[in-house]
Amino acid sequence: MNLKSFKNLSFAIFFLYFFLVSIKLLEKGIKTLGAEYTDALFESVSNPFAGLLVGILCTVLVQSSSVTTATIVGLVGSGVLSLEYAIPMVMGANIGTTVTNTLVSFGHVRREQEFKRAFAASTMHDFFNLLVVIILFPLDLYTGFITRMAEDGTEFILATGFTATKPNSPIKAGIKWGSNNILDGLSSIPFINNLSENSYRVYAVLLIIIAIAFIFLSLKNVVSNMKSLMLNQIEFGLDKALAKGGGLLAILIGILITFSVQSSSITTSILVPIVGSGILSIENAFPITLGANIGTTITAVLASFAVDDPAGLTIALHHVFFNLIGVIIVYPVKAVRNIPVILAKRLSVITAKRRYVAILYVLVTFLLLPLLGVVLFN
Amino acid sequence: MSKDSLDTIDAKLSEMLTNSMHIFDISMNCLLGDTNLDSVRDDLYSTDKAINELHREVRREMIIHSAVNSRNLDIPLLLSYMTMSKDIERIGDYCKNLFEIAETGNTFVKGDDLDEYIELRNDIGKLIVYLQSCLNLDDETKVQDLITLGSSISSDLDGRITSLLEKKEEAQYPVATTLFFRYLKRIVSHIVNASTALIMPTDQIDYLDE
Repeated sequence: MNLKSFKNLSFAIFFLYFFLVSIKLLEKGIKTLGAEYTDALFESVSNPFAGLLVGILCTVLVQSSSVTTATIVGLVGSGVLSLEYAIPMVMGANIGTTVTNTLVSFGHVRREQEFKRAFAASTMHDFFNLLVVIILFPLDLYTGFITRMAEDGTEFILATGFTATKPNSPIKAGIKWGSNNILDGLSSIPFINNLSENSYRVYAVLLIIIAIAFIFLSLKNVVSNMKSLMLNQIEFGLDKALAKGGGLLAILIGILITFSVQSSSITTSILVPIVGSGILSIENAFPITLGANIGTTITAVLASFAVDDPAGLTIALHHVFFNLIGVIIVYPVKAVRNIPVILAKRLSVITAKRRYVAILYVLVTFLLLPLLGVVLFN
Repeated sequence: MSKDSLDTIDAKLSEMLTNSMHIFDISMNCLLGDTNLDSVRDDLYSTDKAINELHREVRREMIIHSAVNSRNLDIPLLLSYMTMSKDIERIGDYCKNLFEIAETGNTFVKGDDLDEYIELRNDIGKLIVYLQSCLNLDDETKVQDLITLGSSISSDLDGRITSLLEKKEEAQYPVATTLFFRYLKRIVSHIVNASTALIMPTDQIDYLDE
């Protein structure tokens, strides 16, 4: 390992720790705010559809499903957001995250054929997530089967005595030590100390804002350092996927790349120019995208290590199972697997001819409809 | 920028040059030796196909590299790889053209200038090997030497073509000989152009004379 790689790895580990500490800070901020306020705050997502749309909107605004899901894990782990309300929000985050690679495809807008391929490569992820939500959202809402799987999974992990899940584990103690030091540091600032003593709600809101900013900052740094560290492996993986031409290996490559860089957007955004140039077909890029969808769920699992309530782990596992089942439903049968690809290709034919439709698609799908929905459902 | 993937591109360019040397040898042996054309035809065309496939692989590598390293991209380097791979690929095409001269029944085996042609073949062969060795070295002087040597061979070939066109020189097969020199000149030019990509600014690549 050379010096640069060592530096990248050290920074990635530090920011991963900082990320967990930030989740703990968020938990602390929410608990300080008090139940009467947090209950009112989350009243707006009591409608599952509203929760789904809030999940989309939040992710579109922060351009990272990891930030949204980690924050949700923090909220669930602190006990202020119920699992029931959180599940649709995580599903929404899944849809919202696809906006990033759709925006990346606009980089190819000058060349019609290239844009057609690039736009299809990005929107097949949108259509896949929409399809899975259409199938699984009502199913889980009425039967609760994924929720039960996640609860069973939590019980199983707790029963195994996995270190990170124990209340007095060294990991949790380390995270607590970090968050306490930050809180002490903040209290040493007279203005904040004054707030914490006299206006605890403002202090709590400030703490929540700081925690979310820290989550964002730490995840951004984890992703950039891990990406620098894994560049060669990513290229190697994509070369393999290219040679193999899709299939289960491509799903595995998608999982591994996303797992290592902690961001599905990185994986899917890399695919866009590769498909745009025509060297990888949309059909063969699709399994890599599905792998990215599974790989991204690890961030929420990591975030759950920082919170006290096992419900944090349950929502993280729900995210894992939801994305995993989505792939199991869609991928094996060719006719089903082709649905998102065909829809994406059809849309790309229209957008290649009329580029403004692409802009309208992004605005309507990721902003207007969710915004309108949130207003209507409340 | 990740070094490993660029090493892969270097390795592929080197492999293209190994194949170019092979295809050059085959075609020149057909014109300057007693090689049975039927026995080497498949080898020649499959080697050219291999060069073309390597050329496509280089392009694919560059696209993947650009997509993965989008924020830290050495664009001049990638452009030089693009132009180098194209130049090297063209060597194979001109070797095929040389083989086609032999296929039309023309041979220089019994000509008075055979020794000169064999020397020419050796010099151009050395240029290909020289270029291959330059790929892995960051040695401007060596590349400069290659360009000087290549330019001198190119001028010599130009002179021979002019003499034939102006009928200052006699040849057993004037058309075939002119084409022979012309194709050899194109091969040398592509070797020189590929080497300019190693050391010259992006906008100056291929424009040695200007």
